[in-house]
Parts: sequence; C-alpha cells; structure tokens
Amino acid sequence: MPFNELLSDLAALYPSDRLLTAAAQIMPYESDGLTAFRGRPSGVVLPVTADEVVETVRLCHRHDVPFMARGSGTSLSGGSVPVPDGLVIGLNRLNRILRYDPLHRVAVVEPGVINLRVSEHVAADGLYYAPDPSSGPVCTIGGNVAFNSGGVHCLKYGMTANHVLGLKCVLPDGEVVTLGGESLETVGPDLIGMFAGSEGLFGIALEITLRLLPRPEVYRTFLAAYDTLSAAGDAVSMVVASGLLPGAMEIMDRLAIDAAEAAVNAGYPADAQAVFLVELEGPREEVAAEEVRLMKLLDDSGATEIRVAKDDAERLTFWKGRKSAFSAVGRLSPDFIVQDGVVPRSRLGEALGEIERLSQEFGIRVANVFHAGDGNLHPLIMYDGRVAGALENAERLAGEILRLCIRMGGSITGEHGVGLEKRAYLGEMYEAADTRTMFAIRDAIDPKSLANRGKMLPDAEAPALASHGAHPLEQQGVISRM
Amino acid sequence: MLHEIPVERIGPAGQVMADAVGTCVHCGFCLPTCPTYDALGEEMDSPRGRIFLMKEVLEGNLPIDEAVPYIDRCLGCVGCVTSCPSGVEYGELLTPFRATAEQVRKRSPFDRLLRRFVLETLPYPRRFRLAALLGRLARPLRRLVPGRMGDMLGLLPARIPPSERLPEVFPHQGQRRARVALLVGCAQQVLAPEINWATIRVLSVNGVEVVIPRGQTCCGALAAHTGAAWQARRFARANLAAFPDDVDAILTNAAGCGSGMHEYPLWLAGQPEEDAARRFAGRCQDVSKFLDELGLQPPPALAEPLRVAYHDACHLAHAQRVRDQPRRLLRSIGNIELVEIPRGELCCGSAGTYNIEQPEIAHQLGSEKARSILWTGCQAVATGNIGCMTQLATHLELEERPLPVYHTMQLLDMAYRVEHGASNGVPGPETSEAATASATAE
Amino acid sequence: MESPQDIPAVQELVRAQSRIRVRGGGSKSALAAEANVSLAGLSGMVQYDASEFTFTALAGTPVREVAEQLARHGQYLPFEPPLADDGATLGGTVAAGLSGSARYRYGGVRDFLLGVRLVDGRGELVRGGGNVVKNVAGFDLPKLMVGSLGRFGVVVELSFKVFPAPERTSTILAEFGHLDTAMAAVDRMATSPFDLMCLDVEPPNRLWIRIGGIGDALHARLARLTSLLEMSDARIGMFADDAEIWQDVSQFRWARENANLVKIPLVPSEVPRLEARIARWNGEVTRRYGVGGTVAYLAWSEPTVREGLESTLAAAHRSSLALWGDWPDPRLGPSTDNAMSDRLAAALDPQGKFAIAAAVAAPPGS
Repeated sequence: MPFNELLSDLAALYPSDRLLTAAAQIMPYESDGLTAFRGRPSGVVLPVTADEVVETVRLCHRHDVPFMARGSGTSLSGGSVPVPDGLVIGLNRLNRILRYDPLHRVAVVEPGVINLRVSEHVAADGLYYAPDPSSGPVCTIGGNVAFNSGGVHCLKYGMTANHVLGLKCVLPDGEVVTLGGESLETVGPDLIGMFAGSEGLFGIALEITLRLLPRPEVYRTFLAAYDTLSAAGDAVSMVVASGLLPGAMEIMDRLAIDAAEAAVNAGYPADAQAVFLVELEGPREEVAAEEVRLMKLLDDSGATEIRVAKDDAERLTFWKGRKSAFSAVGRLSPDFIVQDGVVPRSRLGEALGEIERLSQEFGIRVANVFHAGDGNLHPLIMYDGRVAGALENAERLAGEILRLCIRMGGSITGEHGVGLEKRAYLGEMYEAADTRTMFAIRDAIDPKSLANRGKMLPDAEAPALASHGAHPLEQQGVISRM
Repeated sequence: MLHEIPVERIGPAGQVMADAVGTCVHCGFCLPTCPTYDALGEEMDSPRGRIFLMKEVLEGNLPIDEAVPYIDRCLGCVGCVTSCPSGVEYGELLTPFRATAEQVRKRSPFDRLLRRFVLETLPYPRRFRLAALLGRLARPLRRLVPGRMGDMLGLLPARIPPSERLPEVFPHQGQRRARVALLVGCAQQVLAPEINWATIRVLSVNGVEVVIPRGQTCCGALAAHTGAAWQARRFARANLAAFPDDVDAILTNAAGCGSGMHEYPLWLAGQPEEDAARRFAGRCQDVSKFLDELGLQPPPALAEPLRVAYHDACHLAHAQRVRDQPRRLLRSIGNIELVEIPRGELCCGSAGTYNIEQPEIAHQLGSEKARSILWTGCQAVATGNIGCMTQLATHLELEERPLPVYHTMQLLDMAYRVEHGASNGVPGPETSEAATASATAE
Repeated sequence: MESPQDIPAVQELVRAQSRIRVRGGGSKSALAAEANVSLAGLSGMVQYDASEFTFTALAGTPVREVAEQLARHGQYLPFEPPLADDGATLGGTVAAGLSGSARYRYGGVRDFLLGVRLVDGRGELVRGGGNVVKNVAGFDLPKLMVGSLGRFGVVVELSFKVFPAPERTSTILAEFGHLDTAMAAVDRMATSPFDLMCLDVEPPNRLWIRIGGIGDALHARLARLTSLLEMSDARIGMFADDAEIWQDVSQFRWARENANLVKIPLVPSEVPRLEARIARWNGEVTRRYGVGGTVAYLAWSEPTVREGLESTLAAAHRSSLALWGDWPDPRLGPSTDNAMSDRLAAALDPQGKFAIAAAVAAPPGS
C-alpha cells in the first residue's frame, strides 16, 4: 500500500494535528465549489513552511502517491476535488506576506494568502492587486495562479498571469525552480505564464511575486437597466465600439438580479430584465471626460434607468450584488452548474439568444451573469439533484452551451479552468495534435502523473467525447456525486 | 448541496436541518468570517466543513462521536449566516444537531461534572453569585487547580458588585411613549448590574415605562447552545408564562439572550407552545433596535471627546442582524467619534461557555480582537453584550493596554446624566466604571 | 536560407532538417545571425474584425503593417512593438519577448498574445490558446513562446488582442540636476495614479513621460503632472506633437551608431548601481532605462566593453539578451534555463532541432 508507506514518512514530518487521516477530518475536503463531484483523499497535510511542502511532494513522488494542493477549495470546475486516495496538501497555513516593497510595487506572498488580503495589506500606500475574482475574500493566491483566475476587472488589466512577476515552485518530482523575478521585464521564455493556469499539473507554487498597481484616482460606476437582455448586450457593443476602455463591464439577467437582491439587497432595479454595470477608472480629468461620452451612449442605448454610484459605499453595493450572484442562485435552486464559456464579444447577443433557446428546449432555468466586455458567459444552470435524471439533463445542457461557444470560435473556459468538469470538452475545442502536445508536456513535467491527476487532461481511457450521462470518472467508480 | 438526510426519522427539527444543508452550495464565502477557520485554517473547523460533517452524520455515514469535536469548536457566532450568499440558516442546523449529539455522545466523568456545574450555576443568578464569590476566594489557588477549572477561575472579575434588587415597574419620564418588558439576564445581573440600571434609565428618559417581570428566568440560550435541549425548553416555557401581553415589546440588552429568545420557536418545534413561542419571538427585540425605531431624545454631548470603537456582538449583528441601530444611537451622542474595528465581523471568542470549553481558541480569538481594537486608536469600546464586554476587557488587559468597555446603554446613560445630574432622583448604581475584568456569560 | 511560403512547407522543413533556426525581418541582428529559415514569406493578416478588438496574422507579418491596419480603425497594440521601421515581425517580436516603452501602461507582448499556432519538433502543427480575449483552456502555450527565441517550435501564426488607441498623446521632458533626483521622480510617478503611457529615463538626468487619452482631459492632466515635477526642481519641456519622439525611441535611434545593443531587466533601485558599474567599464556605453526603470538598454561599439558587461551580469546575477551585434549565443549572463524549461523543450522538441546556439545544441535534459 503506497499510501501507508507514505503515511509513516509523513508522520515523521508532521505533528498529528497537521496530518489528518480520520474520516471526520478528511471528509470535509472531499469537495470544492462544484459539489457535483467528490473525491475522498487518503489524507490531508497542513504544512506551515515551504520546506514541508517540498518534502511532502518528494515523499509523494518516492511512494507514487498522487497529490493535490488545495487553497480555499472554491474552484467552480472541480479543480480542487481531491485525487481519490491521494494526498491533499492544504496550503491555508502558508498565508504570510513575505515581503512588500511599496516603492517597486511588488509583494511576495505564500500560496495560502487570501486574494483580498493583498489589496488590504497595501491599501495604505495607495496600491492594490488588480485581479479580483468574485471569491476574492475567500480564494487564495496559490489557487488563483494554478487556475489563472480572472474577475470583473480583467477587461483592462488581464488575468492573474498578467500580474505575477516571479514564482518559486516545486515541480511534481520535488525539484524546486525559480521563475522570473521582480522586474516587469524579463528575458527567456515566459515560464510564469506557462505555470499559471496549469491547474496544479506542474506542481505547487511556494512563493509568488505579485505586481501591484497604483489604485486609480477615481472610480465611476454606472448601473443601466434594460427591458431586454439583448438591449443590454447591444449597449456593451456600443461602449466597445466607442473606443472607451472601461475597467469592467458586467451584465446580469432577471433571474440573477433576483438572486443577488435576495442575498445582499444591492438595490438593483425591480422591473428590469437586465442590468448593465460599467466602471470607469483613472485620473479624475480623464474619467470626467469619459463619463460625458458614456452617459450619452447609455442614454442612446435605450436604458430605462441609469444610476451612478454616488460614493464608494454605493459602488461596493453595486459590485457586491454582482459578486454574490453565483452563490445567491442557491436561493433560487437547490443545485446549479456554473458555466464559463467565452464567445467573440461581438456575438454576445447571438450567444445569449441561443442559450435562451436551449434553456426552453431542455425545460431548465438558466440565469445569466457575465463579463460582457470579455464575452465571458456564466450561465447558471439550475436543477434539483433529488429529481432523477435532473443532473444529467443539466449537464447535457451545459455541454450544449460549451459546444455553442466552441462553434462560435470561443473557449470552453474563460477563467474557471477545465478542472474535472470540462475535461471531456477540451478535445472538442482543440485538435488531436493540440491535446497530444498537452499530454506530452504533462508527461515531460510529471511522468508519473502525480500532481492533481485527472484534472484538465482527459484520461486516455476516457475519450474526450464520452461525457454524456455519468462522468467518466464516475463510471470508473473513482468519484461519486453528493 | 444534494443530501439524503432521512428527514422523517430525525423528528421535528429534521426538515429545518435538511433545508440548511440543501441550501449550502459549498462556495466557501463563509470561510473568512469564521473565527475558528481563521484561527485553525482547516476545513472541518469551518462552517462549510461542519455542514458537511453534520450532513454525513445525519445521513448515517459518519459516527457522531467522530464529528463532535469539530462541532464543539464552533462558537455559534453565526458570522457565517451574515456572509452566506445562498441564505443557509446555519444556526437552525447547529442547535438541533447539538441537542441530538448530546443524547448520544460519550463524555468523560470530569466533562459531565463540569458541564453540569456550569448548567446548574450560570443561569441562576443567586447560585452564580455565590459560586462567583467562592471562586474569588479560591482565585489565589488558581495555579493549583487543574485545566479548565483553573481557566474558569481566571475569568472571574476582580470584584463581584453588590446585588441591588431591580424594581418591578420603572416609571417613564415625561409623556409615555411606550411600555416594555425587560429581560434582565442571569450572569449579567451578577457581574454588571449597572447595565440593567443604565438600560432602564435610558428607556425612562425616553418616555418608556419598563416592566421587569418577576417570574422571568434565564433565557435558556446557554443550555440550548450546549445541547441541553430539555433545560432550554424549560426556561423558554417559564419565560413564555412570565412575560405579560400588555407591553409594546419585550426587550433584551444582552445579545446572547436576545438571539436565544428569537430561537424559542425552534426549541419548541413540535411542542404545544410552538405557536405561542413564535408570537413571543416576534415581540422580542434588542433595546438598541427598539430605541432606534422609537426615536431617541437627543442626548447631550459628553463632557470630553471620546473615540469609541463599536464591537459587533455576534448574537446582535449576525443572529439578530442589528448592526446600524446601535451605531446610530452612539453617533447621536455629541463628542463621540465612532470608529470601526478591522475584520469586525469576527467573533471575540467569548460565546457563552466557549471560554471554558475551548480555552485555547477563545484566548487566541480574544487576543486577535484586542489587537484589532487597539489598532483603531480608540479610547473606549462599546458593545451590546456582557459576554463580549468581559472577554474584551480581559484581553485588552492582557495586551497591557486596558481600555474601558461599555455597553451601548451605559454610554447613552452617561450622556443623559450629564444633563440630568447624578442626583436627579434617578436611582440605581452609576456607570462609574466600565467592565474591566471578565466572566463567562452571555 | 530556406523561405517557406505556407505552413505545410514549414512542417516539411522541420521534418526534413536536423536543425532549424528562424528569422523574421532581421531587425534584431543578434537573434538572426544563425538563422537558416526565413519566415518573411509567411506574412499577412489572417483575420481582423475591428469590432472584436482582436486579430490573427501569420508570424512573418511586419509589425508596421499590422500597426497601419489597426490605426485605420483607431486601434493599436498597446505594447508598441519596437523596430517596426527595420521590418520587425510579429513572430520575431514574440520570440524575442520585446515590448516598447508603452508596455508601461497596459503590459507587454505577453499580456496581449492570445493564441499561437506553432510547428513543433516533430513537424506537427499545434495550436495553443485561442482568439478570444479570455481563455484558460489547456496549457498557455502562447505565453511560453514569448521570449523563447524559437526554442520550442516555429511559431507560424499569432492572435492578439488590441485596445482603442488614445485619442491624443503628449510628452513631457523633465530635466533634473542629477540621476538620483530623476530616479526619485520615477518612484513618485510610478506609485501615483497618473496613468502614464511611458516613463523612460535617459541618463544622466532626463525623464521622458508620455500620457494619452481623451483630448479634453489632456491639458489638465499635463498641468497636474508638470506642477508635481516642478516641485522637485525639474526643468520641463512639453511636446504636444510627440509621435516622432517615440518612434525614435522605438527604433533605438539613440543607439544607432553602435554595433551592439543588449536588454537587461532590472528594478529601478538598481539603475544607479548599474550606472556606477558602467562608468568603470572599458569603453563608451550609451544607455536608456525604459518602463519606469525596469529595463536597461545598453549600446556600444568597442569590443572591450563586453568584459565589463559580463562580469557585471555575473555579479548581479542578471540574465540579459543581445539584440544587435555578433554573438555566439545572444543569451548573456546566468542561464534562464531550468528543470522546467528543459522538460518543456524535451516535450516539444525531443531531437533538439531548435536549440538556440550551435555550441549548446546537445539534446535537452541530458
């Protein structure tokens, strides 16, 4: 039993309160933010130093035990569902900000640092960390790096990978490499960009050097209400075409508005079919000039109501509704699947119409929340898991939406990652040669396939198109549903 | 979250518990507001993890004894309910679960003894007062007393104030605007009787007649939250009988008691008194909410400027969703500058008998909170719960930066007394000193 | 020199040959020296939908051609790829990982590249990324190509996102008494929310600052900036018509008389230290520090400078890249290779066909 051998080695490394093997200790680690999947690990370790992480990875490699690094377990793609019978390396206690240099605008953090804490830590110097996933108060930087997380402000400033300057990481066999540094500029291949978004398959980030930005001098946040979702979509196109470059552009449909209202009372218009949130940011003179143009655009776009956040508190309320929307859908439906497809942004309206049609065809309610400026859709597919066949039906609808995104020349995931959930569709988005190359890369980095095994890349025995009905992993009996 | 909890087999609370599990989407938004997760950083000590564990136990997949240590570590602060976007009523899962667990779990003889002692003492003011006085005498022996008994002694205040009997009815001043009944609390009466006096004086100044029903008992929260469901129901029934119908509201001035009384329908679910409990709970409210809605007689300014940090008692902010009202009351006092405590949503670690049951975590949380308070540069702290007051005072002292800790009503009382003068025929002890040491009570 | 005219021809070449080094427009002579394949024939826009703010083009497409097409729709590549007048291509820009001064505002070439198609060491055509602005499906091969000097394959097609071009731009030249005060101003500018496009240091004492945006707002923004600079005793010059200034920077006009040009990434606090070291080298070195003092470009002609450069790079543990000049290997200073890049090379180029310098052409991972 490789795990038992690993266990005795781990027992020498960890005190008993940081080496968890009892059922009640490991059960809560079985799932992440996508509860349709579960995987029971054999154990969980809670390292407090990077050296412990490295040593743990080396031991896993020696004993051939798969491992998965876990932050706050908020993945919406099943990316942090444990490898069944593997080891979970919980990084929550590696949560120190190791270095902070306000002058050079960098912070070196451990992987368990919470995303929002970085911005809080540096706020007094007028700086912030730009990537802001909706789970920012919860998710960790390590997880953000592994999945190249986005957020509502990607439009202008990009994703996590665009804000990581340096990485120290341990590869799946225990070798430690240092990538990048503290400069904005680099020479040599962009290995940081390659590591970010590798979904844990390349190993574990131990130290992450983040780039910080000066906080924009002013924010102006607008909320426009529309009678139809397509009118809101058209407004996005108008803003994009105008040459304005807002920091964020988000749309929520009626169902999503209902959910958010129930959760946080954001004060969104009661009768609107869609709400369009736009945020301008920058030097005050520039934003003032942009505001004049944006207001005219919104007036011309047929908005039934336009509000401007009058202060920072109202701005945060606007955003709080948006950022709570996913979880808030829990108020409308006992279970749901969040999708993360991307379509060319000029074809948003078409994609939304098609999703609406599919929703009716399947008889399944779908709420829409999306990063309109990026063409990144988040259809929330609602179902009741207690009804026989409901999950399968919902997954089929989810699959149709992904195929729609692929057909339109988009992507199956804009920011949540492939994880467990969408791996069957990777082979539909890419050609055989492309996925073969990805396997070759994984095999070169991790020949034993120990690091977060089973995520992103469809296993050889589970062909890409075999995702109908039970999940391939489920068919193999390695995962089960809650 | 999909579950297979056999609702019917579990009894009256089954559906409520299953609903709480079913509403959870496992998103993790509760994690940063959970004090034990913050302190321990492990999933089974988070709300999401505990929901998962309770689900597994209720489904029959996990022996209850294995889950109980992690359920025990929960402070019951319900900070997670505030942060939950999906609307999981965590408290409605936790309380019945603890009651269920209590029936079947195995406790050590010492544990049983300690538990019995606490449950038979704290809720009864006379017994508690006697025990506290004896405890004071035994305090020099603290180092000789092992474990948690020693911890308990360490939490007793430096001085047990003399008891002064509260009147049955306290008259309103000026035109009568309302008539209310007040729950005076059990431990609060012993440790800080001045809070009740301050409360009735403030109500009186605002034209409110205060009735203090004689037959009232402990609210029962302590019993309910430690799984002693039977005792909790007994207290609830006694209070249902004791409080009169001819009042505009039933007021509490200790957050824990207030939230406990709001839970009466849950405790009495399936009992003949369930409906009466629901009506009763509907009439209960915290004194700060009541005064805020009534409209405060503008209080005079304090003699000197005072920078006050307001600490949200969990059972007020999270359980009763009363956050803005006490802040508004305090801001209406001239010369008070109100400041916010960073990460204010986190529990201070007091939480009923938590100090006794989980002293290490309680201590860690108390120190964190004291440091956060000191970071604000405030000169005093205000809050709405006796338990928090003693915990904060203890830990500020341990940080060697003692600050006065007031109940919101005490600060209002101080302001009104600036005008009226202490000799204005207003009876009762003054707020001469704020809480400066600790005890264990809600 | 082979010159394939389409993608299948590239695949055939890779399959047939044991060693492939590619050049684009030859604007970075140090990187083109060893080339045996030119991608000049693989040129042109494949797809450009202005309303989508993305485009896809073949690797040999000159960046100038791209810039002209984008400009017709009021758009631009915000990292302003350098050396356009010398025929720099998209592929070469990516392989060199080279961004212009404007990368200061929105990021560099790595931040705008969305997708690539490349021919790997087996001659297979492989796609990574996509052509939508957000996509995290699969490994981020596009980013791996940035700065890779062709080590992992022959990039044949690239997709980028673009931004609306600023309506107007203006430039401030601030002259300080001393480099230290200039660098202090850099720190102040960098931590303030002025939203600068470019922030370049020209030793010994000059700061070049460019801003862009809506015309109506520009005047007030300039006024605020200049008053801040004047507080630190700078002499201010203003240029409303600044296109030529930055085109010269993009062409390294200041370095043109020199045979050698290298790029060294650093952090601003290292600038004065590097200046002090350069003063002790044997020979004249012309310098410019771009992107808020996070990159140094050094140019010289006398061969004696090399020794000083190499010892400084070794001492400071700085990797560097030669852009102009005659070098056996353009990668200077400590190697950027490590276990991860070695393994990636083994996966994509098992026979080591794309190894950068002939001298180190041994199979990777050995």
